[in-house]
Amino acid sequence: MKTLNVLIKGEFQRLLKYNIIQVGFGVSVLWLLVMFLIGRDEAREFVPLFIFMDASLMTVILIGAGLFYERQENTLKSMMTSPVGMHKIIISKLISAVYIALQSAIFIGLISIFFFNASLNFILLIGFILVIAITHAMIGYTFSVLVKDFPTLLALTMVYMIVFAFPSIFYALGIVGGALETLLIVSPSHASMLMIDFAFGAEISTGLIIGSVMYLGVVAFVLGRFLVFPLYVEKAIKE
Amino acid sequence: MEKIFEVKNLSYTYRKNQVQALKDISFDVKKGEVFGILGPSGAGKSTTQKILIKLLKDFKGEIEYLGQPLNSFGNQFYEDVGVGFELPVHFSKLTGKENMEFFARLYKKHADIDDLLEKVGLLEDKDRMVGDYSKGMKMRLNFVRAMLNDPKILFLDEATNGLDPKNAYIIKQLIREFKHAGGTVILSTHLMNDVEELCDRIAFISGGVIREISTPRELKIRYGKRIVDVEYRLNGQTESETFDLEKIGENQKFLDILKNNQIETIHSGETSLDDIFIKVTGENIHEDA
Ligand SMILES: Nc1ncnc2c1ncn2[C@@H]1O[C@H](COP(=O)(O)OP(=O)(O)OP(=O)(O)O)[C@@H](O)[C@H]1O
Ligand SMILES: [Mg+2]
Repeated sequence: MKTLNVLIKGEFQRLLKYNIIQVGFGVSVLWLLVMFLIGRDEAREFVPLFIFMDASLMTVILIGAGLFYERQENTLKSMMTSPVGMHKIIISKLISAVYIALQSAIFIGLISIFFFNASLNFILLIGFILVIAITHAMIGYTFSVLVKDFPTLLALTMVYMIVFAFPSIFYALGIVGGALETLLIVSPSHASMLMIDFAFGAEISTGLIIGSVMYLGVVAFVLGRFLVFPLYVEKAIKE
Repeated sequence: MEKIFEVKNLSYTYRKNQVQALKDISFDVKKGEVFGILGPSGAGKSTTQKILIKLLKDFKGEIEYLGQPLNSFGNQFYEDVGVGFELPVHFSKLTGKENMEFFARLYKKHADIDDLLEKVGLLEDKDRMVGDYSKGMKMRLNFVRAMLNDPKILFLDEATNGLDPKNAYIIKQLIREFKHAGGTVILSTHLMNDVEELCDRIAFISGGVIREISTPRELKIRYGKRIVDVEYRLNGQTESETFDLEKIGENQKFLDILKNNQIETIHSGETSLDDIFIKVTGENIHEDA
């Protein structure tokens, strides 16, 4: 327990020193500005979308970049020659990823309740953000263990956005129609979007939401267990 | 003497590119000695170290640590082990002190961080970001990192790499201190000086094979030759000749040259470990160093 504590504290120290918390906060403030600019009623509709972008896309980018730099600095290798287990290292990283997503979701969520009268199930939102952030952290980790350099990491993240996130966003905005929905079922972005919408009171069947949560759980587990964990360890050691 | 490590028929192949980095090597490391692993670039030095510190696990052969299979030890193994890597291993946006404090807290035992920083000459820079350190400063911080848990066994991979003579001297001095306090050191290097000054025993390794295990002294006796080089004028030209230092006073040719010719230079010397290394491994250690 004591070492897990040390690891988590270390993660937070680095989130601050590497300006990741600040960047995350900056992005939230940016959304907020946009919300005030577009006006109260419109803003209420956009809030779930902003939370979605922060919890999913920002998580992928920040986590991917963070781990990428850590690989370059060889610090993981140094941690692995200390008595802490690899599972504790991963847990501490997931906690920091979830924190980043929660920070922005809570911030935007509270503002949307108090300033835009959004009807929001806060507890449900936080629970969902937890799942969404863990899954997207795993996606970010997957990207960062697969690539060799930073431009490729960015490119991969862009591809992910175009293939998964944008269609969901367009769908949410009504730009693309219902036929797409069947395709979107396999998209972690879409599952996330549905869950967040649901927390904001959208009429979505409970079955679909349970399915979405389970789907994200499976994606996180499969990526974590079969890609991130083994590759992470291998890359950390051999580079 | 008690054995810390006993390695038998160790082989290792990197799966990714099928490079067989180690081919059936055997050696042991005794308690309280400085054991050097010496070899040219790509010989397998770092690979050997990574296996001994349990980073690479899929090796072939047997390794015993304190008489038990190495694989039977869990993470507690690291409480007694300090590892100095060949490349910097720090968070560049944290200060030197913050880095060391973070890593120190991962252990039960702690050395005095400021004391270590002072010894390697980094105390004044402890509050600067490591990203702003020079290469030599980062390597000295690597040494501090290795000593944080007050280890019993120290692994050092090219510990003096990139250090100026003064700082290299400091690190060597600290290694000697560590040994005198009862510690065991396993160090890999391609620098003969380090080996000559520090090691009790050396394993010469090249191409993933141990060519020879010996002491620096033994090697010099076996391969070394004490010689005298003489340069002298003869018929308006400079000639040179090498003589064996043994019984030089009875060497008539040498005495004749001294008596009859104008001597330009006389040097005595002994075969350096560098030369011995080339003889043992058939390779030049400084090729790509
Ligand atoms: N991560 C890796 N993946 C694949 N092959 C590797 C890896 N690391 C080392 N090798 C190969 O294994 C062999 C031994 O490498 P090793 O790093 O042990 O050499 P070394 O003696 O430490 O060299 P140096 O003095 O340059 O540090 C080399 O042929 C190298 O190419
Ligand atoms: Mg090496």
